Amino acid sequence: MSAKPVLDKVRDVVNEVDFNRFRFWFQLVAFVLFVYGGYLAIDLGSKLPFFSCGYNREGRAGVCYLLPLQHQLGRPLAMLFSMASLAILTGFLTFVLWFIVLNKGWCGFVCPLGTLQDWISALRRRMGIRFSNYTQGQFAQLTKIKFVLLALMILIPLGVGGGIFSRDMSPPFCLICPARMILPMFTGDFSQFTVDFSSKTAIFMTALGISITALFLVGSFVKKRFFCFFCPMSALHYLISKPALLKLKKDGSKCTRCGDCYAVCDMEIKEIADDVKTTDIMTDDCTLCLKCVASCPESGALKATFAGIPIFVSTEAGFIKRMNKGCQHGK
Amino acid sequence: MENEIHQVIPIQPAPYSRSRQAGEAQTVLDHIVDDFEENPAAMQYFYDLFRQVYCHGDEIPHSGKLVGTTCIQAPEELIYAFGATPVRLCNGSYHYDQRGADFMPAKSCSLVKATLGMLSSDNVIPKIGKPDLVVNPSTCDQKKKSSVMIEGMGYQVYDLEFPNVKESEASRVYWRRSVREFASELRKLTGKRLTRANLKAAMAMTGRAQAAFRALHNFRRQTPSLILGKDAFLVTNAYFFDDISRWTVAVEKLNAELAERQAAGFRAVQSKAPRVVFTGSPPIFPNLKLPLLIEEAGGVVVADETCSANRMLYDMTAVDEWLLNDMVDSLADKYLKPCTCPIFTRNDDRKRRLLDLVDQFKADGVIYQAFSGCQVYEMEYRSVAEEFNKAGIPMLYIETDYSPDDQGQLSTRIEAFLESLKNRKKRRA
Amino acid sequence: MKDLARYCLGGMLALLLIGNVTAQTGLDEHSAHASSDVVRPRPPENATPEERRAFYQKRAAERVKAGGGGDPVAALARTAPGNATLDTAPVKRTQDKSTPAKPEEPARASGRPAGMGMAMRGGGPLWLSDSPPSRGDGAARGGMGGMMGMGGMAMGGERGGAPSKRLWLRAGSDPQKSGFAREDGEAINETLIVRPQGPIEGEALPPPVDGKKNLLFDMPVQGYYRVYASSRKLQGEVLNVSVAKAEISNFGHGGDEEERAQALVAPRVLESAPIEIVREKAPDEKTFFQLKSGDEQAFVVLQKGLPLQGARVRFVSHEGWSKEAVSDEQGRVNFQIIRDYFPPWDDFKKRFKASYLVIAEANAAEQGMFKDMPYSSVRYQTTLSGNYYPSPNDYRSYAWGLGIGLLIVLFCGTAVYLYRRRRLKPFREVRFDER
Repeated sequence: MSAKPVLDKVRDVVNEVDFNRFRFWFQLVAFVLFVYGGYLAIDLGSKLPFFSCGYNREGRAGVCYLLPLQHQLGRPLAMLFSMASLAILTGFLTFVLWFIVLNKGWCGFVCPLGTLQDWISALRRRMGIRFSNYTQGQFAQLTKIKFVLLALMILIPLGVGGGIFSRDMSPPFCLICPARMILPMFTGDFSQFTVDFSSKTAIFMTALGISITALFLVGSFVKKRFFCFFCPMSALHYLISKPALLKLKKDGSKCTRCGDCYAVCDMEIKEIADDVKTTDIMTDDCTLCLKCVASCPESGALKATFAGIPIFVSTEAGFIKRMNKGCQHGK
Repeated sequence: MENEIHQVIPIQPAPYSRSRQAGEAQTVLDHIVDDFEENPAAMQYFYDLFRQVYCHGDEIPHSGKLVGTTCIQAPEELIYAFGATPVRLCNGSYHYDQRGADFMPAKSCSLVKATLGMLSSDNVIPKIGKPDLVVNPSTCDQKKKSSVMIEGMGYQVYDLEFPNVKESEASRVYWRRSVREFASELRKLTGKRLTRANLKAAMAMTGRAQAAFRALHNFRRQTPSLILGKDAFLVTNAYFFDDISRWTVAVEKLNAELAERQAAGFRAVQSKAPRVVFTGSPPIFPNLKLPLLIEEAGGVVVADETCSANRMLYDMTAVDEWLLNDMVDSLADKYLKPCTCPIFTRNDDRKRRLLDLVDQFKADGVIYQAFSGCQVYEMEYRSVAEEFNKAGIPMLYIETDYSPDDQGQLSTRIEAFLESLKNRKKRRA
Repeated sequence: MKDLARYCLGGMLALLLIGNVTAQTGLDEHSAHASSDVVRPRPPENATPEERRAFYQKRAAERVKAGGGGDPVAALARTAPGNATLDTAPVKRTQDKSTPAKPEEPARASGRPAGMGMAMRGGGPLWLSDSPPSRGDGAARGGMGGMMGMGGMAMGGERGGAPSKRLWLRAGSDPQKSGFAREDGEAINETLIVRPQGPIEGEALPPPVDGKKNLLFDMPVQGYYRVYASSRKLQGEVLNVSVAKAEISNFGHGGDEEERAQALVAPRVLESAPIEIVREKAPDEKTFFQLKSGDEQAFVVLQKGLPLQGARVRFVSHEGWSKEAVSDEQGRVNFQIIRDYFPPWDDFKKRFKASYLVIAEANAAEQGMFKDMPYSSVRYQTTLSGNYYPSPNDYRSYAWGLGIGLLIVLFCGTAVYLYRRRRLKPFREVRFDER
């Protein structure tokens, strides 16, 4: 018995998997791990490339890198430019190492806030309410926001360290991040749902944070993956995504541009359907959820590769199987 | 004078089966069935079907309202979902082509003329009954202009507005809206409501049919071929009017037989037979002139890029959320985005599709049929030829119509082309 | 905005999850300063840390000569930082703000509260503070990560080295007003330190070097460091035994896990201590613990490691408000940390660090000899000081938070709903400018 037919069989099973179900369970496990893992004394460090929120003190199994990053950048300038800042560099490298493994797959499969948005979407779907879309013009404008937020997220802590801004503005992104309020809730901590009246800056920042959380709840109800569009982590990911191991590849010659991938894309990325030249098709908005691969009827047109090895490839058989399932149950 | 008895001898209408039209179909069908050896047994269903419908003029039963479509862009899932039955009105009969010449300039597309001819005759073959609604997507000029003429023949016509640029977001938005409006038109026609369950069931039905077609399509990748192109065209032609479930079952049976053939190492053609991809104006029974000429001459049509076969059934719809809004939008996208019809401004997708087909089906050459008068195909010839030139793929361009007059001349050209493909193959080997 | 610069980064660092407290620098020493109404001589702007230290030592020595800590205002001058902008606004204390339940106000007028009727060394009970007199009035320090007790306060140490800690021995029963403890030749003094991984019976801590008034020690490993400054002195026939205790928690984020785990279960009692107060940890207390005003806190009075019943225990808040109780059979006393921080809103600091002082006293009819003199009874006195912070309930509002959240959810939800209902006008993307 040669290993080849076995391998082919495994490949077929993977490619024809009921992808949505697989992803649902994967996300659920990841959510439980990162929101409740702390109770099992799991601690994966503080350089995680997704929103495993540090404010969820009890349950977190690791901490989102943006929290320590902002704090490190917020050191007094004298200290920032000293040897002590080597820690910033090593911290960043650790973050990059984490990131490289799954690329933006952290967003699509692991990020608790992303999972939460998918669940809110599922709720809407079950209620039979249609989702909203951006127009192309809105998309082109909104997609820049995450880079602006990333820049602010770096500049404001520097300003805090330099004494320009109040310490009540630190860490700026965490203060406006919905994950800070929502994830601790899952371990019974509602203390983030307060307005801090201790100073004017604190009032502003906490009120802004609450407003954005409220927007998040409304937004993710009508728009799939509403927040990911504005996520500075996503922007940071994109900037360092070149050496990542998990990749989304497209073979333009096999693409019929039918737009099936675009139709299922939570992030409304048009390139996935229309671009037949780029092989590395992951864009800045992509969450690498791989739904596009699962919904592509052209064998080999889209695939996810890990370190160059295809691990999930679009196949006709897989498409038909998933499609039939959709027709019968409809999720 | 008054007492004179005029005995009017009523002209007995000759039975359809003895008409010139039936004869045309009979000849082609006999040719398809008898002049080739070892036709798949499962093809018998289709042979019988065409014999009954085209040669005997038997009626085709249908349920619900009948919605005629003049193009593949009319979303049939929606029609099924409203409990109506779609039927494709595109016709391939030379008899109707001649009749239709009354409506269109002499130098116009045979297909459009034949369709008009069919609709204008009292005795419509295939005998599908009078459509309650004719959906006419605004694709090419000739189809657009037939709209009013069809209306003049006493049909209710719905112009389904179709964009002629497909890359832009505006066209997507426009088309999605058109499809939504079409759905509300269907609601008016049928008095039924579109529901998730109905549309899902309809999509499951067409999805199964498409899966069966894709399986057949994939069997044709096999070298040497398991099935001839003329049979494949007959199968997809039957999809125009046959009951979709019955059709699917028949295709699945055919696929099963092809699987057996594959296992048994069966060859439908010689291993040296040149493999041809067919593109351009659609061959519709009984006008299977070109595919038959190719396969008579020892070639085999392994794949096609025409709206009577591949383009009609190949592309499948993916839906993210099985809600009506999402399903209808996804359907709309499927009918617009992958379409390789030449009516669009650009034809990059068509060129890529053709190159991919040649590559995937290991074809030796391409035969490009343009109905004289079908300007869009005629105009696209140049760019497609250039593309193939670049890729080093030989292509034969044939301008023809439904008339059988040019058969001799065409057969010479095709034979020469296939011979050159053979030589090329030999040289390469 | 000005005083923002002086915000201590220590608290922020507590959050740095890569967390190494060691990264803190001498800067911290200055950053805890509150506003001052007196401009003090300070070292030149460009002084090196060594020069600066020498400067301060010299000045401290001068001060000892001048006043010996007798005058709280003149002598207890702060060491003004050379590098921070000095806010000259007067300190706003809220003691004049009369509150109805201000119990047993110590004798403020004298500038030296009288303790519990016992004047051992001039000022009152001895206690260990993490700030010199008049300094520890609650500059915003510490962050949300928090430090338990006095952890993280006045921490110094060379860059990259182990963090170190300074403690001042003070006398008096008002956390803000007590001055330096005076030297007393008659007493037998002894200072012990119990380190997390050192011997549990403790090690002797060298007294302050000449000219300095603080006890300085390194904290190389994580855990609780306890310092006991005990003093015995005969007064008539009564032997006064006093133990001033401080417990410093030293934990860093990302530090050694095992170290931390060990520290959490290590005993916090010195068996040889004639008397001591132990702050009882709450069952769910983590390493970074901050006491907040409004919290209930239990203290246990122990004598030689055994609970002492009937000890008089007094809790003194930052503002000098105090409450007395008697320890039960388990030696326990419970106090609710009273809120005593009422600055005008503009001056409110949520990281305001307030000190509390717990004083326990007990008498025992024990006979013995001290320095060849007999005594017939012993008066035990012990103190424990710590810090507490404003309760988040004082400045955080759920009502506003949820209110704003709900308002926006409702508003945006309705807006989205209406927009989606009304958005039936397609093809209006292009609008022409009529001008």
